[in-house]
Amino acid sequence: MINRRNFLTTVAIGTASAAALAACGSPAPSQTGSAENPVTINYTWWGNDDRAERTRKAIALFEGKNKDIKVNGNFTDFGGYWQKRATEAAGGGLPDVMQWDLSYMRDYGQRNQLLDLGTVKINTDAFDKSLLPSGQIRGKTYGIPTSTNAFAVYYDPAKLASLGIAEPDGTWTYKEYNDFLAEVGAKGNGALFGATDYTGVWWMFNIWLRQNNIEAFTEDGKLGFSRDDLKKWWNQTAALRGTPAIVSEERVTQLAPKSPFGSNVTATEVTWDNFMAGYLGDSGAKELKLVPVPSDDPDNLGLFLKPSMLMVASAKTKYKDAAARFIDFMVNDPEVGQIFKTSRGVPASKTQRDGTTFEGTDKLVVDYEKSIEKYLKDAPEPPIVGFGTLETSFKRVSSDLNYGKLTIDGAADAWFKEAEDLIKQNA
Amino acid sequence: MTIMATPKQSAPMLSTQDYNPKSESTGTKRVKSVAFHAVALALTGVVLYPALWMIASSFKPNSEIGGTNTSLWSSNFSFDNFVTAMDGIGGVTTLQFFTNSLILAIGAVVGTVLSASVSAYAFARIKFPGRSIFFGMMIATLLLPFHVVIIPQYIIFNQLGLVDTYIPLLIGKFLAADAFFVFLMVQFMRNLPAELDEAARIDGAGHVRIFCSIMLPLMKPALISTSIFSFIWSWNDFLGPLLYLNTPEKYPLPLALRLFVDQTQSSDYGAMIAMSVLALLPVLIFFLVFQRYIVEGVSTQGLKG
Repeated sequence: MINRRNFLTTVAIGTASAAALAACGSPAPSQTGSAENPVTINYTWWGNDDRAERTRKAIALFEGKNKDIKVNGNFTDFGGYWQKRATEAAGGGLPDVMQWDLSYMRDYGQRNQLLDLGTVKINTDAFDKSLLPSGQIRGKTYGIPTSTNAFAVYYDPAKLASLGIAEPDGTWTYKEYNDFLAEVGAKGNGALFGATDYTGVWWMFNIWLRQNNIEAFTEDGKLGFSRDDLKKWWNQTAALRGTPAIVSEERVTQLAPKSPFGSNVTATEVTWDNFMAGYLGDSGAKELKLVPVPSDDPDNLGLFLKPSMLMVASAKTKYKDAAARFIDFMVNDPEVGQIFKTSRGVPASKTQRDGTTFEGTDKLVVDYEKSIEKYLKDAPEPPIVGFGTLETSFKRVSSDLNYGKLTIDGAADAWFKEAEDLIKQNA
Repeated sequence: MTIMATPKQSAPMLSTQDYNPKSESTGTKRVKSVAFHAVALALTGVVLYPALWMIASSFKPNSEIGGTNTSLWSSNFSFDNFVTAMDGIGGVTTLQFFTNSLILAIGAVVGTVLSASVSAYAFARIKFPGRSIFFGMMIATLLLPFHVVIIPQYIIFNQLGLVDTYIPLLIGKFLAADAFFVFLMVQFMRNLPAELDEAARIDGAGHVRIFCSIMLPLMKPALISTSIFSFIWSWNDFLGPLLYLNTPEKYPLPLALRLFVDQTQSSDYGAMIAMSVLALLPVLIFFLVFQRYIVEGVSTQGLKG
């Protein structure tokens, strides 16, 4: 009996303390702060130690200039970041300001989790007009790009020199690029291959579509290309698969999580230009160079600037004004540019870009983006919901193609079935 | 049982009669023994290889980890990775991450042992109305996938204003929410002879006295296995801290570990692996210290059974 009484007491105490804790919740705070009584906004980002250090400096600078706002920063790794956001979005606890990735833009924007930044004051005058659509959904602005990256072909000049192959000049057709890969493979003697199969890279496919004036996704979120387009694309390297021009899929798997290019197994790689620092670190190469992607139409390279990350605010934030001022500061302030350099990508805002001095690796990337300026077209709208899954399955199906498990027709059928199911599911 | 056991036992008996140890020279025996140990060692090597790889890699420069480098030892042996790892991340020292992990792990052990043993005593020894229903409900929580309750739990803690404290991570342990441990202890207590508490009751002991003086000492093996598991689970927990903690100063080690490898920037595998080695040490020490109790617990169990 004692125990039952104890049990009831415990329950009573527990309930009472829970109620007390609930009552402790802070009263509704005021919308704006003052220097004596600043408001605190939460800002969250993903990234490593280096980014944490730089962001801390930027926040200190912002707080120094805006005495009425305190910024509470926190960070996690990229994978955990999205798990945490998903839970917070469902529980109504998203931080006020967040660093954002393009592939999650439409998902959260459509579910009204993000603040319409058109309703607050953020200066976008210094932004390239071709870039802004990537943060917009149906005319509403949900994200402001902090920085950009562009697609490129990387190569290691030292490796080409050792094989006696001339460096590419940056204007090539697909046939010329394929011939180049074949030459590297032939002279590489089994130690050096041309590249990873570039037809397995979704963004490269997307750029090829743009070169042929096809949009990957229609405005209503359907696929904008046909099965035949995809077959044609995968046929581009049909003659190279299984030859030393392309590193075998077995080898790629063995080297993971490092890329074949970062492991010094291939001479070239197509990817985003902000991978430069990572590749230099992984490969230990002295110098890496960037040239534009191949195209059969020399006037249309299909290139565009993609926001490497964006700044967004939570739709539920109590401090819209403070959040907007912080976003404006992070994307426009020249001193912030000087702090981050190109670690977020090349600064998107011209004021920030001009206020930053770039050296070494940073300069290579900035110069590359400057060199392709004349080819740039409007960035595509944020990709459809579930795009991440489509990109992964694109890579997986094309890797099966390389393993020889699928024919090109079979691969195209397999991917289209997955894509159509996914689009139907999310419609 | 005896009927079943007889043929089983007779088989080795027969073979020992056929097998005359004296006819075999000590040399052959030694060869057999050496072969057995060689095979056993080789298997151990295979099992331990990942751990060995981790330790070896923690002394290598970043560019020699993974990729084309398959050899275990590097000529560029250095402690640089450990220095980087100890530097911490974003102004928070690694010692801080360790302390946080320790607070959480010790809190989890204390909470689980206290609450689970008391609840188990109630289920195993006290006849209260609705006992079997409550017991069934407790078992049912074992079948409930963790991911189902994440969001409701988050909403509750968020509205109570407890996010970014250790309370959401620890309160469940103090309220015996880990049904697995309660179940483990209930099963253990049911095996203890009821005559013991009857004797104590005759001598005038109440439930508190019986629990403290009779049950707890006898339950040592169960308490120890509970401690070990709850320590290791808490030490390795990633999702809970990820969801509930917002300030880097409060992060435990598993969150910090992930920050060294950022696929969107350059990854410092060396520092991450060095930190993994450091993070493994407490678990290893904890296990080594308590491992003899496990063995002890199992052997005394056997004698009593």
